[in-house]
Amino acid sequence: MSGPAEVTEKAARAAAPTRGRSLARVATARRQWIVMAVLLAVACYAPFQLVPFRVFQLTMVLVYAVALLGLNLLVGHAGQISLGHGAFFAVGAYGSAIMIDRWDTPHLATLPVAAAVAFALGLALGLPAMRLRGLYLALVTLAIAIFLVPLLKRFEAVTGGSMGLTLGKPVPPAWTGLAEDQWLYFLALAVTVVAFLLAHGLLRSRVGRALHAVRDNEAAAEVMGVRLSFYKTLAFAWSAMFAGAAGCVYTWVIGFVSPDSFALTLSITLLASIVVGGLGSFSGPLLGGLFMMFVPSISQDVNDAAPGVIFGLLIIAVMYVAPTGLAGLAGRMTRSITKILRKE
Amino acid sequence: MSENAFLTVTDLRAGYGGARVLHGVSLAVGQGEICAILGPNGAGKTTLLRALSGMVRVRGDVRLDGADLSGRSPDTIARQGVAHVPEGRGTFMPLTVEENLRLGAFVRRDRRSLRGLRDLRGRRGGSAVDADLERVHTYFPVLKTRLKQVAGSLSGGEQQMLAIGRALMLRPRLLLLDEPSLGLAPMVTQELFRIVRAVNEEERTTVVVVEQNAHLALSIAQQAHVLESGRIVLSGSAEQIRADEQVAQSYLGYRV
Repeated sequence: MSGPAEVTEKAARAAAPTRGRSLARVATARRQWIVMAVLLAVACYAPFQLVPFRVFQLTMVLVYAVALLGLNLLVGHAGQISLGHGAFFAVGAYGSAIMIDRWDTPHLATLPVAAAVAFALGLALGLPAMRLRGLYLALVTLAIAIFLVPLLKRFEAVTGGSMGLTLGKPVPPAWTGLAEDQWLYFLALAVTVVAFLLAHGLLRSRVGRALHAVRDNEAAAEVMGVRLSFYKTLAFAWSAMFAGAAGCVYTWVIGFVSPDSFALTLSITLLASIVVGGLGSFSGPLLGGLFMMFVPSISQDVNDAAPGVIFGLLIIAVMYVAPTGLAGLAGRMTRSITKILRKE
Repeated sequence: MSENAFLTVTDLRAGYGGARVLHGVSLAVGQGEICAILGPNGAGKTTLLRALSGMVRVRGDVRLDGADLSGRSPDTIARQGVAHVPEGRGTFMPLTVEENLRLGAFVRRDRRSLRGLRDLRGRRGGSAVDADLERVHTYFPVLKTRLKQVAGSLSGGEQQMLAIGRALMLRPRLLLLDEPSLGLAPMVTQELFRIVRAVNEEERTTVVVVEQNAHLALSIAQQAHVLESGRIVLSGSAEQIRADEQVAQSYLGYRV
């Protein structure tokens, strides 16, 4: 074999694994979109096959998924922690409720306002909080959850105090021919899809790369020119925005808000659910939403006296079996199934 | 020392909390020069680099090509073209090699040039950053074969190459290298220093390198400073420091 040919062959061999890997990457990306499309089709079909209560449950899964999507951005992608996201959820819920209650605002119009208010609040609270790290940050965000909800009880004239506010639900337009629960479900589904696309786009951008850099190595990110406080605060505000939007849809779905619905447990459950769902993963928020919706009611069925105990044990069990969350477990299972199928 | 120095540091003091580490360091580095900072553990070598890149609060004066850098934030300093390869490499482990490299160009203004837009057939032309990716590949061919690989799966030497390659993505005017030989096999270290020398020669990049391996550092540097307990105790050309065996031996604790 002549010299140059040998060199080319060597180069080709060196390049081959890269090409193979990138092809595999494209394939997985395409598979991901196919899975999403199938999921969406199923999601559109499901409400016509299920009883209204099941439809309501699925709607709540979507509501939680939107909130968890925001939390995933902050915890999974930016590597920060928040023990107070229930507060932003509450702000969105109350924001929407007050607008509907006081000014008869159409339900849908309250969504951008609620999201914007939550974003602004996230920015204002994130600015000082995001200068802190680890435990200190956890404590400050915990404080947000502790003071914001009792605050809601204070301004009774506007918030209805501890009695809360009862509201009408959005009425499905006649042309859709949908029942109320189905209409609510599709509203929630639309918000979820938009939220997913938004988060996906955000993470694929330069900003997403900056967040990952902050998460993986703060010092290196800093010398690379990433302004830590800026990006952390931005991540906090965005995740508050998603929580606020979720809270707003929650108000539409439940038609009632009261301070007790947004107790500290909500914040903790949100954080637990995204960890269980799978931090930093694509499907984590959805799996977390399923977990948040169904596991408490399942544990209620298992043992009526101590649903909390079962819920806690299940969290421990999931973390033990799947330290990367349900999303990681699903990925692992898919891989081993494909491997078995290939062998046969 | 050069009259019209590119980097001048005057009476630099820095520390962490109450603990002062640098007690008035002054030095000057000419454009396109390689300057080695030598000295025992705890002398303040790393702190000096961190002070230059804005990661610790400083008092004193730091000027790069006349522009005042003292008291600036790290991102401002990075925008001025200072790339810092931190001790321990600072790899973003879960990200791919390519993502790591592209993060190096994070503050570049020309990261999205017109050529980066899709042409009529939907193909992406190379942006300036893509061109620099190629440039880094010519220095470190091994990175090219690992572009889509997770950076955490690279060997120590490859990670150090990645760290330097990432710094080059900034098109730095000043490159700060903190112990590039740390934990690497002698062969790999030699290869790294050869590449640093090549970068310096081809791109006229000014380099400040902190190194325990004095022999290697002096082999590529034009000038060197020996730091001890936060003060410069010995300065001179690389040859002088190498020749001044006795002084070097007493300050460095080993033969150069």
